[in-house]
Amino acid sequence: MRDLFANLYSRVVNFFKSTEEIGEQTKEVARNRLKLVLMQDRTNLTPAVLERMRGELINLLSKYVELDKELLDLNFEQEGDQMALMLSIPVVRAKTEEEIQKAIQEDEAIKDVALADDDEDESSDEDEVKEEDKEDEDGVNNEGTSEESGEDEEEKEEEPSESEPTEENEEETEEKTAPKSQKSKEKEAKAEETSEENE
Amino acid sequence: MTGRVIVITSGKGGVGKTTTSANIGTALAKAGNKVVLIDTDIGLRNLDLLLGLENRIVYTIVDVVEERCKLKQALVKDKKNPNLALLAAAQTRDKSAVTQEQLKDICEELKKKYDFILLDCPAGIEQGFQNAVAGATEAIVVTTPEMSAVRDADRIIGLLEAREEIESYKLLLNRVRPNLIKENDMMSVEDVVEILSCKLIGIIPEDTGIITSTNKGEPIVNVEKSLAGQAYRNVAQRIMGEDVPFLELDKQENAIIAKIKGIFAKLKGKV
Repeated sequence: MRDLFANLYSRVVNFFKSTEEIGEQTKEVARNRLKLVLMQDRTNLTPAVLERMRGELINLLSKYVELDKELLDLNFEQEGDQMALMLSIPVVRAKTEEEIQKAIQEDEAIKDVALADDDEDESSDEDEVKEEDKEDEDGVNNEGTSEESGEDEEEKEEEPSESEPTEENEEETEEKTAPKSQKSKEKEAKAEETSEENE
Repeated sequence: MTGRVIVITSGKGGVGKTTTSANIGTALAKAGNKVVLIDTDIGLRNLDLLLGLENRIVYTIVDVVEERCKLKQALVKDKKNPNLALLAAAQTRDKSAVTQEQLKDICEELKKKYDFILLDCPAGIEQGFQNAVAGATEAIVVTTPEMSAVRDADRIIGLLEAREEIESYKLLLNRVRPNLIKENDMMSVEDVVEILSCKLIGIIPEDTGIITSTNKGEPIVNVEKSLAGQAYRNVAQRIMGEDVPFLELDKQENAIIAKIKGIFAKLKGKV
Protein backbone atom coordinates (compact mmCIF):
# COMPACT_ATOMS: atom_id res chain seq x y z
CA MET A 1 0.00 0.00 0.00
CA ARG A 2 2.75 2.35 0.98
CA ASP A 3 4.68 1.49 -2.17
CA LEU A 4 1.62 2.20 -4.21
CA PHE A 5 1.36 5.70 -2.75
CA ALA A 6 5.04 6.32 -3.20
CA ASN A 7 4.78 5.19 -6.78
CA LEU A 8 1.76 7.40 -7.37
CA TYR A 9 3.50 10.35 -5.73
CA SER A 10 6.59 10.04 -7.88
CA ARG A 11 4.45 9.67 -10.97
CA VAL A 12 2.53 12.82 -10.19
CA VAL A 13 5.73 14.72 -9.44
CA ASN A 14 7.33 13.45 -12.61
CA PHE A 15 4.28 14.39 -14.60
CA PHE A 16 4.45 17.96 -13.41
CA LYS A 17 8.18 18.06 -13.86
CA SER A 18 7.97 16.81 -17.43
CA THR A 19 5.23 19.23 -18.41
CA GLU A 20 7.25 22.02 -16.89
CA GLU A 21 10.31 21.07 -18.86
CA ILE A 22 8.41 20.78 -22.11
CA GLY A 23 6.72 24.07 -21.29
CA GLU A 24 10.04 25.82 -20.90
CA GLN A 25 11.07 24.50 -24.24
CA THR A 26 8.09 25.35 -26.44
CA LYS A 27 8.32 29.09 -25.93
CA GLU A 28 12.05 29.14 -26.52
CA VAL A 29 11.71 26.81 -29.48
CA ALA A 30 9.14 29.12 -31.04
CA ARG A 31 11.26 32.18 -30.34
CA ASN A 32 14.42 30.71 -31.81
CA ARG A 33 12.73 29.23 -34.86
CA LEU A 34 10.98 32.51 -35.49
CA LYS A 35 14.16 34.55 -35.13
CA LEU A 36 15.96 32.34 -37.61
CA VAL A 37 13.20 32.37 -40.17
CA LEU A 38 12.78 36.16 -39.86
CA MET A 39 16.46 36.72 -40.43
CA GLN A 40 16.20 34.66 -43.58
CA ASP A 41 13.11 36.62 -44.65
CA ARG A 42 14.71 39.98 -43.96
CA THR A 43 18.09 39.33 -45.51
CA ASN A 44 17.01 37.22 -48.48
CA LEU A 45 19.62 34.72 -47.37
CA THR A 46 18.26 31.22 -47.86
CA PRO A 47 19.69 28.38 -45.78
CA ALA A 48 21.66 27.31 -48.87
CA VAL A 49 23.20 30.76 -49.26
CA LEU A 50 24.01 30.90 -45.56
CA GLU A 51 25.73 27.54 -45.85
CA ARG A 52 27.75 28.83 -48.79
CA MET A 53 28.71 31.93 -46.81
CA ARG A 54 29.78 29.70 -43.96
CA GLY A 55 31.92 27.60 -46.29
CA GLU A 56 33.61 30.67 -47.76
CA LEU A 57 34.29 32.07 -44.32
CA ILE A 58 35.86 28.78 -43.25
CA ASN A 59 38.13 28.81 -46.32
CA LEU A 60 39.14 32.40 -45.66
CA LEU A 61 39.84 32.03 -41.96
CA SER A 62 41.56 28.66 -42.31
CA LYS A 63 44.51 30.47 -43.86
CA TYR A 64 45.37 32.05 -40.56
CA VAL A 65 44.09 29.70 -37.86
CA GLU A 66 43.05 26.11 -37.65
CA LEU A 67 39.34 26.05 -36.91
CA ASP A 68 36.88 23.52 -35.69
CA LYS A 69 34.81 23.59 -38.86
CA GLU A 70 31.92 21.69 -37.33
CA LEU A 71 31.44 24.13 -34.48
CA LEU A 72 31.77 27.35 -36.44
CA ASP A 73 28.57 29.23 -35.72
CA LEU A 74 27.12 31.88 -37.98
CA ASN A 75 24.08 33.82 -36.85
CA PHE A 76 22.22 37.05 -37.27
CA GLU A 77 21.29 38.97 -34.19
CA GLN A 78 18.98 41.89 -33.83
CA GLU A 79 19.61 44.67 -31.37
CA GLY A 80 16.97 47.31 -31.78
CA ASP A 81 17.16 48.55 -35.35
CA GLN A 82 20.68 47.23 -35.81
CA MET A 83 21.31 43.83 -37.26
CA ALA A 84 24.60 42.12 -36.58
CA LEU A 85 26.24 39.09 -38.12
CA MET A 86 27.62 37.02 -35.27
CA LEU A 87 30.41 34.63 -36.00
CA SER A 88 31.70 32.30 -33.34
CA ILE A 89 34.86 30.42 -34.27
CA PRO A 90 36.35 27.77 -32.05
CA VAL A 91 40.11 27.82 -32.70
CA VAL A 92 41.73 24.38 -32.53
CA ARG A 93 45.33 25.50 -32.95
CA ALA A 94 47.19 28.65 -33.90
CA LYS A 95 49.09 28.27 -37.13
CA THR A 96 52.87 28.65 -37.22
CA GLU A 97 54.41 31.69 -38.83
CA GLU A 98 55.60 29.60 -41.76
CA GLU A 99 52.15 28.25 -42.43
CA ILE A 100 50.67 31.73 -42.35
CA GLN A 101 53.36 33.13 -44.65
CA LYS A 102 52.80 30.28 -47.05
CA ALA A 103 49.06 30.93 -47.11
CA ILE A 104 49.68 34.64 -47.72
CA GLN A 105 52.05 33.90 -50.56
CA GLU A 106 49.57 31.59 -52.19
CA ASP A 107 46.99 34.28 -51.82
CA GLU A 108 49.25 36.91 -53.39
CA ALA A 109 49.81 34.66 -56.36
CA ILE A 110 46.07 34.47 -56.92
CA LYS A 111 45.75 38.23 -56.43
CA ASP A 112 48.42 38.96 -59.07
CA VAL A 113 46.40 37.03 -61.59
CA ALA A 114 43.34 38.95 -60.56
CA LEU A 115 45.23 42.26 -60.85
CA ALA A 116 46.26 41.42 -64.37
CA ASP A 117 42.59 40.93 -65.17
CA ASP A 118 41.83 44.27 -63.53
CA ASP A 119 44.32 46.06 -65.79
CA GLU A 120 42.37 44.88 -68.80
CA ASP A 121 39.21 46.18 -67.22
CA GLU A 122 40.69 49.62 -66.54
CA SER A 123 39.24 51.11 -69.73
CA SER A 124 35.73 50.25 -68.61
CA ASP A 125 36.48 51.79 -65.22
CA GLU A 126 37.31 55.05 -66.94
CA ASP A 127 33.99 54.93 -68.71
CA GLU A 128 32.33 54.76 -65.35
CA VAL A 129 34.27 57.81 -64.22
CA LYS A 130 33.06 59.70 -67.28
CA GLU A 131 29.50 58.83 -66.39
CA GLU A 132 30.03 60.09 -62.88
CA ASP A 133 31.36 63.36 -64.32
CA LYS A 134 28.19 63.78 -66.31
CA GLU A 135 26.13 63.30 -63.22
CA ASP A 136 28.25 65.81 -61.37
CA GLU A 137 27.68 68.40 -64.08
CA ASP A 138 23.98 68.07 -63.49
CA GLY A 139 24.47 68.31 -59.75
CA VAL A 140 24.21 71.80 -58.32
CA ASN A 141 25.74 71.18 -54.91
CA ASN A 142 29.36 72.26 -55.04
CA GLU A 143 30.28 70.58 -51.77
CA GLY A 144 29.03 67.22 -52.92
CA THR A 145 31.20 67.22 -56.04
CA SER A 146 34.31 68.29 -54.20
CA GLU A 147 33.79 65.50 -51.70
CA GLU A 148 33.46 62.98 -54.46
CA SER A 149 36.60 64.15 -56.18
CA GLY A 150 38.35 63.89 -52.84
CA GLU A 151 37.27 60.30 -52.59
CA ASP A 152 38.60 59.65 -56.06
CA GLU A 153 42.03 60.85 -55.00
CA GLU A 154 42.00 58.63 -51.96
CA GLU A 155 41.21 55.64 -54.08
CA LYS A 156 44.07 56.51 -56.38
CA GLU A 157 46.48 56.65 -53.52
CA GLU A 158 45.35 53.32 -52.20
CA GLU A 159 45.39 51.42 -55.46
CA PRO A 160 49.09 51.54 -56.18
CA SER A 161 50.04 50.83 -52.58
CA GLU A 162 48.12 47.59 -52.67
CA SER A 163 49.76 46.32 -55.83
CA GLU A 164 53.43 45.35 -55.91
CA PRO A 165 55.46 48.55 -56.15
CA THR A 166 57.40 47.63 -59.29
CA GLU A 167 58.52 50.44 -61.61
CA GLU A 168 56.26 49.35 -64.44
CA ASN A 169 53.27 49.43 -62.24
CA GLU A 170 54.07 52.87 -60.94
CA GLU A 171 54.44 54.29 -64.45
CA GLU A 172 51.18 52.77 -65.47
CA THR A 173 49.27 54.19 -62.56
CA GLU A 174 50.82 57.61 -63.07
CA GLU A 175 49.75 57.65 -66.67
CA LYS A 176 46.27 56.70 -65.73
CA THR A 177 45.90 59.08 -62.85
CA ALA A 178 47.03 62.07 -64.87
CA PRO A 179 43.94 62.33 -67.08
CA LYS A 180 41.75 61.60 -64.11
CA SER A 181 43.11 64.50 -62.09
CA GLN A 182 42.60 66.79 -65.07
CA LYS A 183 39.07 65.64 -65.23
CA SER A 184 38.47 66.25 -61.58
CA LYS A 185 39.75 69.81 -62.03
CA GLU A 186 37.37 70.24 -64.94
CA LYS A 187 34.67 68.81 -62.76
CA GLU A 188 35.26 71.39 -60.07
CA ALA A 189 35.36 74.20 -62.57
CA LYS A 190 32.10 73.09 -64.10
CA ALA A 191 30.47 72.71 -60.75
CA GLU A 192 31.49 76.29 -59.93
CA GLU A 193 30.01 77.48 -63.22
CA THR A 194 26.70 75.77 -62.52
CA SER A 195 26.51 77.19 -59.04
CA GLU A 196 27.21 80.67 -60.39
CA GLU A 197 24.52 80.25 -63.01
CA ASN A 198 22.09 79.30 -60.34
CA GLU A 199 22.96 82.31 -58.26
CA MET B 1 -10.78 69.75 -40.00
CA THR B 2 -8.30 67.17 -41.17
CA GLY B 3 -8.91 63.71 -39.80
CA ARG B 4 -6.35 61.00 -39.29
CA VAL B 5 -6.49 58.00 -41.58
CA ILE B 6 -5.36 54.78 -39.90
CA VAL B 7 -5.19 51.39 -41.57
CA ILE B 8 -5.59 48.28 -39.42
CA THR B 9 -3.68 45.45 -40.99
CA SER B 10 -1.95 42.16 -40.13
CA GLY B 11 -0.95 40.03 -43.09
CA LYS B 12 -2.27 36.88 -41.52
CA GLY B 13 -6.02 36.27 -41.36
CA GLY B 14 -7.90 35.57 -38.18
CA VAL B 15 -5.72 37.55 -35.78
CA GLY B 16 -8.43 40.09 -35.05
CA LYS B 17 -8.18 42.96 -37.53
CA THR B 18 -11.92 43.38 -37.87
CA THR B 19 -12.56 42.99 -34.13
CA THR B 20 -9.84 45.56 -33.49
CA SER B 21 -11.29 47.96 -36.06
CA ALA B 22 -14.79 47.70 -34.60
CA ASN B 23 -13.60 48.16 -31.04
CA ILE B 24 -11.13 50.98 -31.59
CA GLY B 25 -13.66 52.76 -33.79
CA THR B 26 -16.39 52.42 -31.19
CA ALA B 27 -14.08 53.48 -28.36
CA LEU B 28 -12.88 56.55 -30.27
CA ALA B 29 -16.47 57.51 -31.02
CA LYS B 30 -17.47 56.99 -27.39
CA ALA B 31 -14.67 59.37 -26.41
CA GLY B 32 -16.37 62.05 -28.50
CA ASN B 33 -14.55 61.77 -31.83
CA LYS B 34 -16.28 61.61 -35.18
CA VAL B 35 -15.26 58.28 -36.67
CA VAL B 36 -15.77 56.46 -39.96
CA LEU B 37 -14.97 52.77 -40.26
CA ILE B 38 -14.28 51.60 -43.81
CA ASP B 39 -14.44 47.88 -44.56
CA THR B 40 -11.99 47.37 -47.44
CA ASP B 41 -12.37 43.60 -47.42
CA ILE B 42 -14.52 43.57 -50.55
CA GLY B 43 -16.14 40.18 -51.14
CA LEU B 44 -15.64 39.08 -47.52
CA ARG B 45 -17.29 41.80 -45.52
CA ASN B 46 -17.67 41.26 -41.79
CA LEU B 47 -17.24 44.60 -40.06
CA ASP B 48 -21.00 45.19 -40.39
CA LEU B 49 -21.64 41.99 -38.43
CA LEU B 50 -19.37 42.94 -35.54
CA LEU B 51 -21.10 46.30 -35.25
CA GLY B 52 -24.57 44.74 -35.61
CA LEU B 53 -25.31 46.89 -38.65
CA GLU B 54 -25.74 44.13 -41.23
CA ASN B 55 -29.44 44.86 -41.75
CA ARG B 56 -29.01 48.56 -42.30
CA ILE B 57 -26.66 48.53 -45.25
CA VAL B 58 -28.16 49.92 -48.42
CA TYR B 59 -25.12 51.13 -50.35
CA THR B 60 -21.52 49.95 -50.24
CA ILE B 61 -18.12 51.40 -51.09
CA VAL B 62 -18.44 49.94 -54.59
CA ASP B 63 -21.71 51.83 -55.10
CA VAL B 64 -19.90 55.03 -54.13
CA VAL B 65 -17.01 54.35 -56.50
CA GLU B 66 -19.34 53.48 -59.36
CA GLU B 67 -21.43 56.58 -58.62
CA ARG B 68 -24.70 54.85 -57.87
CA CYS B 69 -24.92 56.93 -54.69
CA LYS B 70 -23.19 59.77 -52.91
CA LEU B 71 -20.58 59.06 -50.26
CA LYS B 72 -22.83 60.50 -47.58
CA GLN B 73 -25.66 58.16 -48.49
CA ALA B 74 -23.46 55.09 -48.11
CA LEU B 75 -22.38 55.93 -44.57
CA VAL B 76 -24.38 53.85 -42.10
CA LYS B 77 -24.80 55.43 -38.68
CA ASP B 78 -24.20 53.25 -35.64
CA LYS B 79 -27.19 52.15 -33.57
CA LYS B 80 -26.00 53.69 -30.33
CA ASN B 81 -23.38 56.21 -31.21
CA PRO B 82 -24.21 58.95 -33.73
CA ASN B 83 -20.48 59.81 -33.90
CA LEU B 84 -19.72 56.46 -35.54
CA ALA B 85 -20.40 55.57 -39.16
CA LEU B 86 -19.63 52.56 -41.32
CA LEU B 87 -18.81 52.43 -45.01
CA ALA B 88 -19.42 48.77 -45.80
CA ALA B 89 -17.69 46.58 -48.35
CA ALA B 90 -19.60 44.97 -51.19
CA GLN B 91 -20.12 41.27 -50.70
CA THR B 92 -20.68 40.28 -54.32
CA ARG B 93 -17.56 41.83 -55.86
CA ASP B 94 -13.81 41.38 -55.48
CA LYS B 95 -10.81 43.53 -54.59
CA SER B 96 -10.44 44.91 -58.12
CA ALA B 97 -13.76 46.79 -57.76
CA VAL B 98 -11.99 49.70 -56.02
CA THR B 99 -8.64 51.20 -56.99
CA GLN B 100 -6.02 52.81 -54.79
CA GLU B 101 -6.82 56.24 -56.22
CA GLN B 102 -10.54 55.86 -55.58
CA LEU B 103 -9.95 54.83 -51.98
CA LYS B 104 -7.55 57.73 -51.53
CA ASP B 105 -10.19 60.14 -52.84
CA ILE B 106 -12.81 58.75 -50.44
CA CYS B 107 -10.42 59.17 -47.51
CA GLU B 108 -9.56 62.71 -48.58
CA GLU B 109 -13.21 63.65 -48.65
CA LEU B 110 -14.00 62.00 -45.30
CA LYS B 111 -10.98 63.69 -43.69
CA LYS B 112 -12.76 67.02 -44.00
CA LYS B 113 -15.66 65.98 -41.79
CA TYR B 114 -14.33 63.28 -39.48
CA ASP B 115 -11.60 63.04 -36.82
CA PHE B 116 -10.69 59.44 -37.55
CA ILE B 117 -11.01 57.26 -40.62
CA LEU B 118 -10.19 53.63 -39.80
CA LEU B 119 -9.55 51.25 -42.69
CA ASP B 120 -10.16 47.59 -41.93
CA CYS B 121 -7.66 45.88 -44.22
CA PRO B 122 -8.15 42.43 -45.76
CA ALA B 123 -5.68 39.66 -44.98
CA GLY B 124 -2.80 39.12 -47.37
CA ILE B 125 -0.34 41.45 -49.08
CA GLU B 126 -2.02 41.64 -52.47
CA GLN B 127 -4.19 44.28 -54.08
CA GLY B 128 -6.65 44.52 -51.20
CA PHE B 129 -3.83 45.36 -48.79
CA GLN B 130 -2.22 47.77 -51.22
CA ASN B 131 -5.55 49.55 -51.75
CA ALA B 132 -6.26 49.92 -48.04
CA VAL B 133 -2.76 51.20 -47.24
CA ALA B 134 -2.85 53.72 -50.09
CA GLY B 135 -5.38 55.92 -48.32
CA ALA B 136 -3.73 55.87 -44.89
CA THR B 137 -0.94 57.82 -43.22
CA GLU B 138 -0.80 55.69 -40.07
CA ALA B 139 -0.99 51.95 -39.49
CA ILE B 140 -1.77 49.55 -36.68
CA VAL B 141 -0.28 46.11 -37.21
CA VAL B 142 -2.31 43.45 -35.42
CA THR B 143 -0.58 40.24 -34.46
CA THR B 144 -0.81 37.45 -31.89
CA PRO B 145 2.05 35.78 -29.98
CA GLU B 146 2.14 32.93 -32.50
CA MET B 147 4.96 32.27 -34.90
CA SER B 148 2.96 32.48 -38.12
CA ALA B 149 1.23 35.71 -37.08
CA VAL B 150 4.52 37.33 -36.01
CA ARG B 151 6.25 36.30 -39.21
CA ASP B 152 3.45 37.80 -41.31
CA ALA B 153 3.49 40.96 -39.18
CA ASP B 154 7.21 41.30 -39.90
CA ARG B 155 6.50 41.08 -43.61
CA ILE B 156 3.76 43.70 -43.31
CA ILE B 157 6.07 46.02 -41.35
CA GLY B 158 8.63 45.68 -44.14
CA LEU B 159 5.99 46.62 -46.72
CA LEU B 160 4.75 49.55 -44.63
CA GLU B 161 8.27 50.90 -44.25
CA ALA B 162 8.65 50.88 -48.01
CA ARG B 163 5.59 53.11 -48.42
CA GLU B 164 6.32 56.79 -48.07
CA GLU B 165 2.77 57.82 -47.21
CA ILE B 166 2.82 55.76 -43.99
CA GLU B 167 4.28 58.14 -41.41
CA SER B 168 4.03 55.83 -38.41
CA TYR B 169 2.98 52.32 -37.55
CA LYS B 170 2.46 50.57 -34.25
CA LEU B 171 1.94 47.07 -33.02
CA LEU B 172 -1.19 45.72 -31.37
CA LEU B 173 -0.65 42.36 -29.71
CA ASN B 174 -3.92 40.50 -29.64
CA ARG B 175 -5.14 37.30 -27.96
CA VAL B 176 -2.45 37.33 -25.30
CA ARG B 177 -2.83 34.49 -22.79
CA PRO B 178 -1.03 35.39 -19.56
CA ASN B 179 -1.38 31.85 -18.20
CA LEU B 180 0.41 30.31 -21.15
CA ILE B 181 3.11 32.98 -21.01
CA LYS B 182 3.59 32.23 -17.33
CA GLU B 183 4.12 28.58 -18.14
CA ASN B 184 6.54 29.51 -20.91
CA ASP B 185 4.26 28.03 -23.49
CA MET B 186 3.66 31.28 -25.31
CA MET B 187 5.98 34.04 -26.41
CA SER B 188 5.70 37.01 -24.10
CA VAL B 189 4.85 40.56 -25.09
CA GLU B 190 8.53 41.46 -24.66
CA ASP B 191 9.58 38.60 -26.94
CA VAL B 192 7.33 39.74 -29.77
CA VAL B 193 8.26 43.41 -29.37
CA GLU B 194 11.94 42.52 -29.39
CA ILE B 195 11.64 40.31 -32.45
CA LEU B 196 9.65 42.84 -34.46
CA SER B 197 11.38 45.90 -32.95
CA CYS B 198 8.19 47.90 -33.29
CA LYS B 199 6.46 50.24 -30.86
CA LEU B 200 3.42 48.88 -29.03
CA ILE B 201 0.04 50.55 -29.01
CA GLY B 202 -1.85 47.85 -27.15
CA ILE B 203 -1.93 44.45 -25.50
CA ILE B 204 -5.30 42.71 -25.69
CA PRO B 205 -5.86 39.61 -23.54
CA GLU B 206 -7.67 36.60 -24.92
CA ASP B 207 -11.26 36.98 -23.81
CA THR B 208 -14.21 34.66 -24.37
CA GLY B 209 -16.33 37.77 -24.14
CA ILE B 210 -15.19 38.59 -27.68
CA ILE B 211 -17.15 35.60 -28.98
CA THR B 212 -20.33 36.50 -27.14
CA SER B 213 -20.05 40.15 -28.09
CA THR B 214 -19.60 39.17 -31.73
CA ASN B 215 -22.67 36.95 -31.44
CA LYS B 216 -24.64 39.95 -30.29
CA GLY B 217 -23.14 42.38 -32.76
CA GLU B 218 -21.94 44.62 -29.98
CA PRO B 219 -18.25 45.61 -29.65
CA ILE B 220 -16.69 44.54 -26.37
CA VAL B 221 -15.63 48.10 -25.51
CA ASN B 222 -19.28 48.62 -24.59
CA VAL B 223 -18.92 46.00 -21.85
CA GLU B 224 -17.55 47.95 -18.91
CA LYS B 225 -16.21 44.99 -16.93
CA SER B 226 -14.43 43.21 -19.75
CA LEU B 227 -10.63 43.20 -19.57
CA ALA B 228 -10.33 43.07 -23.36
CA GLY B 229 -12.79 45.94 -23.56
CA GLN B 230 -10.64 47.94 -21.15
CA ALA B 231 -7.54 47.14 -23.19
CA TYR B 232 -9.23 48.39 -26.38
CA ARG B 233 -10.42 51.54 -24.64
CA ASN B 234 -6.82 52.14 -23.58
CA VAL B 235 -5.67 51.73 -27.19
CA ALA B 236 -8.18 54.36 -28.28
CA GLN B 237 -6.85 56.73 -25.64
CA ARG B 238 -3.27 56.14 -26.77
CA ILE B 239 -4.30 56.89 -30.34
CA MET B 240 -5.72 60.18 -29.04
CA GLY B 241 -2.27 60.96 -27.64
CA GLU B 242 -2.83 60.10 -23.97
CA ASP B 243 -0.18 58.28 -22.03
CA VAL B 244 -2.00 55.25 -20.64
CA PRO B 245 0.02 52.46 -18.98
CA PHE B 246 -0.38 48.96 -20.39
CA LEU B 247 -2.55 46.52 -18.46
CA GLU B 248 -0.42 44.20 -16.39
CA LEU B 249 -1.97 40.95 -17.46
CA ASP B 250 0.44 38.71 -15.60
CA LYS B 251 -0.58 40.29 -12.32
CA GLN B 252 -4.28 39.64 -12.45
CA GLU B 253 -4.40 38.94 -8.73
CA ASN B 254 -3.36 42.53 -8.16
CA ALA B 255 -6.15 43.93 -10.27
CA ILE B 256 -7.68 45.70 -7.30
CA ILE B 257 -4.37 47.24 -6.32
CA ALA B 258 -3.86 48.29 -9.92
CA LYS B 259 -7.24 49.97 -9.87
CA ILE B 260 -6.37 51.84 -6.72
CA LYS B 261 -3.06 52.82 -8.28
CA GLY B 262 -4.97 54.01 -11.32
CA ILE B 263 -7.18 56.17 -9.17
CA PHE B 264 -4.13 57.65 -7.46
CA ALA B 265 -2.54 58.29 -10.86
CA LYS B 266 -5.68 60.12 -11.96
CA LEU B 267 -5.71 62.18 -8.77
CA LYS B 268 -2.07 63.04 -9.30
CA GLY B 269 -2.83 64.12 -12.85
CA LYS B 270 -5.53 66.46 -11.60
CA VAL B 271 -3.36 67.95 -8.85
